[in-house]
Order: sequence, then structure tokens, then C-alpha cells
Amino acid sequence: MTVTAHHHTLEIRNLSVRAGGVEILSGIHADIRCGEVTALVGPNGAGKTTLLLAILGLVRYTGEIRFCRAEEHGEGAPRIGYVPQRLDFDRNAPMTVLDFLALSSQRYPVVFGHSARSKRSARETLARVGVDHLISRPLGKLSGGELQRILLSLALRDDPDILLLDEPVSGADLSGEGLFCEFLGQIHSESRFSLLLVSHDLSVVSRHADRVICLNRRIICQGATTEMLTPENLEAMYGSGAHLVSHGPADGSGHLHPPPAADGDGNKRD
Amino acid sequence: MTVESLPDFLFSAMGRILPFGFAEPLFMKRAILAMLFIAPAAAAVGVPLVHFRMAFFSDAIGHSAFTGVAIGVLLGVHPLLTMVAFGLFVAWAITRVKGRTELSPDTVIGVFFSTVIALGVAIISAQKGLTRNLQAYLYGDLLAVSGTELLWMGALLIVVGAYLFLTFNRIMLLGVHEGFARSMGVPVYALEVSFALVVALVVTTAIRAVGILLVTALLVVPAAAARNVARGAVSAFWVAIAIAVVSGLSGIAASYYLDTATGATVVLFAAALFAATAMLKGMFRR
Repeated sequence: MTVTAHHHTLEIRNLSVRAGGVEILSGIHADIRCGEVTALVGPNGAGKTTLLLAILGLVRYTGEIRFCRAEEHGEGAPRIGYVPQRLDFDRNAPMTVLDFLALSSQRYPVVFGHSARSKRSARETLARVGVDHLISRPLGKLSGGELQRILLSLALRDDPDILLLDEPVSGADLSGEGLFCEFLGQIHSESRFSLLLVSHDLSVVSRHADRVICLNRRIICQGATTEMLTPENLEAMYGSGAHLVSHGPADGSGHLHPPPAADGDGNKRD
Repeated sequence: MTVESLPDFLFSAMGRILPFGFAEPLFMKRAILAMLFIAPAAAAVGVPLVHFRMAFFSDAIGHSAFTGVAIGVLLGVHPLLTMVAFGLFVAWAITRVKGRTELSPDTVIGVFFSTVIALGVAIISAQKGLTRNLQAYLYGDLLAVSGTELLWMGALLIVVGAYLFLTFNRIMLLGVHEGFARSMGVPVYALEVSFALVVALVVTTAIRAVGILLVTALLVVPAAAARNVARGAVSAFWVAIAIAVVSGLSGIAASYYLDTATGATVVLFAAALFAATAMLKGMFRR
């Protein structure tokens, strides 16, 4: 676990985002450490996705985001992989999974067909996350979980320095299986990219994350996972009554039970 | 062979390829050639346009042509030039405002749409005798295309082809998810602006063929019809092109014999092909 001790991949300093006169994020100070898994947790509307978009440079912000590339990754700007929560494209779009992958792997337009190289690369890319059987399926007919895996396979293909992963609310997907399951943990331990993971499943967070950033428009707390997921911090984030319930053996895994009064969109702005 | 003799060469070639009565007069040869330039360009741009759900945008640009023509007549400049220039300006302005506001794209386009129409109506109402000039632009006048316009349309097809060849994959990626496209190295803003400008160029040129009122159909209907039958990106694109060319040529032929407006007849053929593909889709679903 000690790669380059506490070398930062990403330093966020005094970051604020305003949209439509409302402060979505304010005064964010955070570091993403090299090679570690950092979980970003907080209620809906806490600004988690906005923070990812700021890192990608897709929303205007004040403050600073500094990328520090570790020497062993070579020169140049760091590569950022991104897996969005969901795609809001037209589900009727005539586009197969192979078409979609070829969009970013071959130079000439996909309307002229797929090169043997891009077909082979697509199959390898998909196989890495175990979805190569989907290659000729229409993109719009896939489940949310399948789509996220395909996006993940693409993000991993380019060997990112940082991977930003925006998990959907658990239970939204029929497969019921979070994206951060064992295979991603395995890929991560092989490739050692820095992972910033938005997760709603605190059992996933407590099992896989090295560090946790608790966010609700501002930083509530950040630090090592074991120290952060305390009843006090959860209450500060989700409101009173929230608690982590341990299921099974005392391995720290558990699910967040939201407070009885504030469920659903029980994340009323402060 | 000089540039000026190029149309003549193409016309004699067409005489051999299309030995039909309707293709004999010179004005019909010009109309057919114009359609063969415009229809594929419009359909090719239409595929990503439909993917982006930008049909309303293209309609707004089409209607801005109304004002562009009015400005041209007002200034004593050739209306074609002001129409294209104004269309490009509106496309750029919409894209820029869209990126800087919380309003939905629909709302932004709606505001621009009504503003440019209002401006056009204001200019026309102040200038008597302008209405006659507008007819050709409202309904299109394919049979009166000049040699210079033909060259312009041919150049358009080349420009659109080259642009799409270079950007098609990245544009389609952008249409799936902006943030994801950005993470894959797609220059989001540059592509959005350049695509809007290319759409404006195609729309304002295609107005010559089918008119302001119907120009969006030339971009949207072939791509929409292709979606009914295509499963992948390859067939979606080429079916759209084929539908555009087939309805373009059959529309011209039918309008010659039925004495109907050429642009409207072409669009009716495209709409019929859309209906046919929709029925085919229904049959395969069951």
C-alpha cells in the first residue's frame, strides 16, 4: 500500500462552484493521494458529481485544482478516466457497443466499418471487465450496470492516472451489483491508479476505500476510512438518526440506514 | 477541363445515365445535380444532428434565413450571401449562449427563433415590394438554380464530407455524454461550435432547394427513417444517405410530371419512406 508515501495526484484548494446564484460547493480543500482509493460520500445534492465535473474542467469554479503527476507515470498531463453515473443519450440511437468503442479507437469514421485492429481492441477492452459478450448489442438496450461497465472498460483502456467513478444509487440497477466489486479492486491493485469513487454504498466504502471525503456542499470531514465513518460524522452529513448497521461478521462492512424522517431526497439543503 | 465547363461535362454524363424525359431540359439537369449535391450533405449532417436532438436548432437556423434575406435586400447585397452569413451568426450566438446559461437548449433556441423572425418581419413590413423576393426562399426554387450556385453546392458537399470525415467519431461520442467525451480527449467546445456552423452552412444552402419552411426535413427525415431500420452506426448512416438521394430524385421527377413544387414533393417522398421504414420496424418487432 505504500507506493510513494502520500504523494498527491490531485490537490484541491479552496474550490467553490456557483450555479444560478446558488453555491453548490464552497471552500473545498482536499487531496487525492497517489494510488489510493478515495471515497466521496454524502447525501444526494451534496455536490459530489459537481466536484467530479470540476476536476474534469466541465464546470466553472473558483479556487485551484492541481494535478501532480508521479514520476513513474512519465511526463505530460495526467490522464483522467471518468465513468459518469448515467448516460442521457437517446436510447434509440442505432449504435452497437462495438460502434461505441470504435468511436474512440479508430481514426476514420465508424460509418466506413470497423478495422480489424479496433475490433480486436474492443474485445480485449470489454473482456477486461467481463462484458465481451455484449459487443454486438445495441448500446441503448443495455442496463445501467452494463453501460457503466462498458464505460469503465473504456476509461481503463487508456491507462489513467486518476479514475473518477460516479456510482449510481445502489438498487437503481436491476443487477443489484455495485460497480466497485472484486474485479475493479483487483484491477486497481495491479495498475495502481488513483481512484476517486462516489459511492452510496457505505459497505463498499468501508471495504475498499483507503480514505473518505465526506461532503455536503462543504467538506464535513476527511481522513482514513476507519476513522471517518463514525456515527457523529454520518449524522453531520445525513442528518440525525443515520447509522451504519453492521451485517454479518465484524469486518466493518455495513449499510447506511438513513434517518427515519429524512429518506428519499432526505438531503434538504442546510 | 476548366471549372466553368465542369457542369457541362456532368450534364452530358447525366444524359447517358438518366435517359428519361424529365431529365432532358437543362434546368432539370441542373436541379438534379443540385439535389445530388445537397441531399447527401444534408442527410450526412442530419445523422449526428438527430443524435444530438438538435432538430429544433436546425429549424431556427432555417428561419433565420428569412431575416438574412431581408437584410440582404435592405442593404442591396445578394440575399444568398447575407442569408448564409446571418445563419452562421445565429448558429454561433445560440451555441455560445447555450453554454453560458442554466436555461435548457430548447428555451434558448426558442428565444432566438422568435427574435430573428420578429426582426425579419419588421424589416419586410417596412420595405414594400420585398414579399415577391421572399417567395423563392420560403418554398425553394430548385428549377432556377444558377451555374454559380451549383458550384457552391458542390463545394458544400466536399466541405461537409471533409468535416465529417475528420470529426464524425468525436461528434458521436460527444452526443453520448459530454463529460465522458471530455475525459476521452474530445475538444467539447470547439466541436460544438464547428458543428453548429456546418449545420448552418448546410441549412442555408439547402434552402435554395426546398425552402425555409421545409429545410429541416431534408436533414432530419432521412436520418430518422434510417433509425427505423438500422441497428448499427454503419447502416444508419448509409441508409440515411440512400433515402435522401432516392427521395430527392423521385421528388424532382414526380414534380415535373405533376407540376407540383419541387421542394415539397421531395419532402413528401422522404416522409413516405419514413412511413415505410416505420412499418417495416413494426413488422420486425412482432
